[in-house]
Amino acid sequence: MTHRTRLLALLWMSALAGTAQARTLDADIAKIRLPMATLETVHVQLDWPDGATQGTLSLQAARVQAPDLGIDARHVAWTCPLQRIDSVGWACDGTLRSAGKTYRLAIAFDEAGLRGTFSDKRATLAMHRATATPDLTRIDLTRVPIAWAQGLLAQSWADARLQGGTLDGRVDVAAPSKGPLQITGRLNASGVKLETTDATIASDKLAGTFDFDYKIYDAPHPSLLSLDGTLRGGEFLAGSVYVALPDTPIKLAIRGASREGAWTLSRIEWADDGALHVAGNAAFDAETNLRTLDLSIHSDDLEPVRDRYLTGLLGIAGVSDLALTGGLDAQVRVDNGALHAFDFVPHHVDIVEPTDQRFAFHGLDGTLRFSRTWPIESALQWHDGLLYGLKFGGAKLPMRSEGGAVSLTQAVSVPLLGGALRFDNMTLRPPADGKGAEAIFGLSVDKLDISQLATALDWPVFRGQLTGHLPRAHYANERLDFEGGLSMAMFDGQVDVSSLSMERPFGVAPTLAADLRIDDLDLLSLTEVFDFGSITGRLDGSIDQLRLVDWSITAFDAELHTDPKPGIRQRISQRAVQSISSVGGNSLMTSIQGQLIGLFDDFGYKRLAIGCHLVNEVCDMRGLHSGGDTFTIVEGAGLPRLTVIGHNRLVDWPTFVERLSAVGSGEVSPVVE
Amino acid sequence: MKSARWMGVSVASLWALSACVTINVYFPAAEAKEAAKEFVEKVIGPDAIPATPVETPEKKPEGGSGGMASLLQRIDPLSLIGIGSAYAQGQPDISIKSPAIQAIQARMASRFDASLRKGFDLGALGFGKDGMVVLREPGALELKDRAGIQTAVADDNRDRKALYKEVAVANGHPEWEAQIRDVFAKQWVDSARGGWWYQDKSGGWKQK
Repeated sequence: MTHRTRLLALLWMSALAGTAQARTLDADIAKIRLPMATLETVHVQLDWPDGATQGTLSLQAARVQAPDLGIDARHVAWTCPLQRIDSVGWACDGTLRSAGKTYRLAIAFDEAGLRGTFSDKRATLAMHRATATPDLTRIDLTRVPIAWAQGLLAQSWADARLQGGTLDGRVDVAAPSKGPLQITGRLNASGVKLETTDATIASDKLAGTFDFDYKIYDAPHPSLLSLDGTLRGGEFLAGSVYVALPDTPIKLAIRGASREGAWTLSRIEWADDGALHVAGNAAFDAETNLRTLDLSIHSDDLEPVRDRYLTGLLGIAGVSDLALTGGLDAQVRVDNGALHAFDFVPHHVDIVEPTDQRFAFHGLDGTLRFSRTWPIESALQWHDGLLYGLKFGGAKLPMRSEGGAVSLTQAVSVPLLGGALRFDNMTLRPPADGKGAEAIFGLSVDKLDISQLATALDWPVFRGQLTGHLPRAHYANERLDFEGGLSMAMFDGQVDVSSLSMERPFGVAPTLAADLRIDDLDLLSLTEVFDFGSITGRLDGSIDQLRLVDWSITAFDAELHTDPKPGIRQRISQRAVQSISSVGGNSLMTSIQGQLIGLFDDFGYKRLAIGCHLVNEVCDMRGLHSGGDTFTIVEGAGLPRLTVIGHNRLVDWPTFVERLSAVGSGEVSPVVE
Repeated sequence: MKSARWMGVSVASLWALSACVTINVYFPAAEAKEAAKEFVEKVIGPDAIPATPVETPEKKPEGGSGGMASLLQRIDPLSLIGIGSAYAQGQPDISIKSPAIQAIQARMASRFDASLRKGFDLGALGFGKDGMVVLREPGALELKDRAGIQTAVADDNRDRKALYKEVAVANGHPEWEAQIRDVFAKQWVDSARGGWWYQDKSGGWKQK
């Protein structure tokens, strides 16, 4: 009698009493405790007509709780015909109503044990407990809505809400008076839809088979879980990680222990054959924050890994279209909730970001190691790559990592545009402790061919070489600042670039800012490149606060003027004058009438200057002298004396550029009035 | 004599420069709001219910009615002698016409139609008090849409960050970024449809 359910004993006695003395028996019981359930405010009524072979039992409970099975129901009413099934056995099979729903509940007990069946139209949950093994309850599930397991899941995962799906299989629950409550079994799940209360973890259409063994001990002994499963399709989201499972099976194994709500998973194994194999261990705190993680990752082919596991993360990082191919071995270690070390070994990996040809690395090999503590060396190499459409050559990066940073151990030269970029040093710090990624490097630019750059960027055919030294570049908060400067040897002169900085270099609307000093450019070669007509002489000047947004010019303050040199003729061709006039539209006037211009091939000039302060798509022009709304661009010399004066100092920049490019492409023929 | 004259010019320049330093530049709140409204309504769509304007704490500066008129006001004779004080002198307008900003606008508008609008309609998304989009109630979305919305929100917030920065820089005052962001934050809420969620100043969520 110790373990026999007292409720059933009570019913039995009532029933016996009923047959002996009364037609109707009522009993009110404040609380009935059973090994796995508690019933509160119970009213039992039994009607047993004289001489009848069965009576009618009705039981109402204000609340039924079976925490181990996850049952907590209110206002439960069960009515059934009570009948004997043998000398000691009774059975009752009737309708149970709870929360407006109707179920069938059948309970029978005899010498052999206790059987119960709980079902609705589609689902059946059958329970059996043998007299010989009173602590063991066997539950068979047939198309059981997964929501019925809500309470059971709440035992181990309080935040999860089961919203859809069905379960088939068998669960054994052992509830000995001493020792742990043990739940073991095999379940087939299909169409599982669940979500945590904060919606950070969710799944849909998950299907799979799971063998499990969950032992719930009294504190302080940890509860133990062992789970082996095969997943067959579905999708889930955990934070930013979105996983679309393939229809091919994925093997999953977990061994874990839970102490006061904090899980330690001593073994995690995820085998998605042909794509990804992950093995390791992890520990979470009671708020399910990751504390430690140690994973080994292997992939023969990153392409399905990208499609199945990385789309969410890539999307958040703004590289949704990033393509990945090749193989990878990796180790990742997290300690105290922070990345402690990783070890990436790519095997012929290609990474291609096709949007605007932002970047690409082909043939990545070697190792990349990161350590937050002791030093560790590695070397990564690639065959070739692409940066904003510019091809660069192969390089090998010898690195050392310690204290949470990765540094180059020697200078690395990357072939680019016929010359090379040399990284004299570099230290990279991945995001940590709430701070974003940071990089500091020194860069030397060695003889880049500007004509190749111009071709790649679809610029006019500039010729020249770009050389320079940027001793310290600093990248943080999506901003890249360079100290030092670059020097471009072009058009027989020099252009020096300083105060160089970039914002969002790989992000939205990348910006480039710089100050340019122009010294002694040969105007003839310059004007020939632009097919502008020809001007001889030397050009000096500056373009300050130049700002390109999304690679188009949005602001600058420029001032260009000729620099008279002994022995250098200063002439401007008729075509160039016409070009200047076309660019200026009606706002430019020459001192010589159109008809007259046509009579001369070229003109001498004394000085030539033009300035523009571009803000908000409007260029505020200036020249040699400005007065009122006019400014002088060309001051002539000799005869015929030519003067070009601009009117309307405020010029619409897009129109200006349009006219300039029309002149450059020869679309504007000189207008002779 | 010659040097004395140059001295005079230098002194005049110094005076001009020091004069520039003392000029206060007020953030053109009304113009900024106008620009933000134009931008936001192009993103959210033309069916915007006339917005109830949220009071802006900044005083509306005199003048600066926008367009060419204000542009002309900016032109400063001092710039002729190379002192770039044009901005300090006039009442600045806020322009959102640069190609980069227009490109961001076009991208945000198509993204809004393609995915974000649905998120706002379902109550999954809200306008944050910092001018960003917040995935406030992911559970309101089907799982299949959720990953996509997360990406769209991340992309949109990158665009927004760039937008607020570039509007400030394009108008010659990078230091106005925070104010521009505030003006836009209010405007997203003002232009929001009824039923959409937004964050009030204390960070609490309210439904419009």
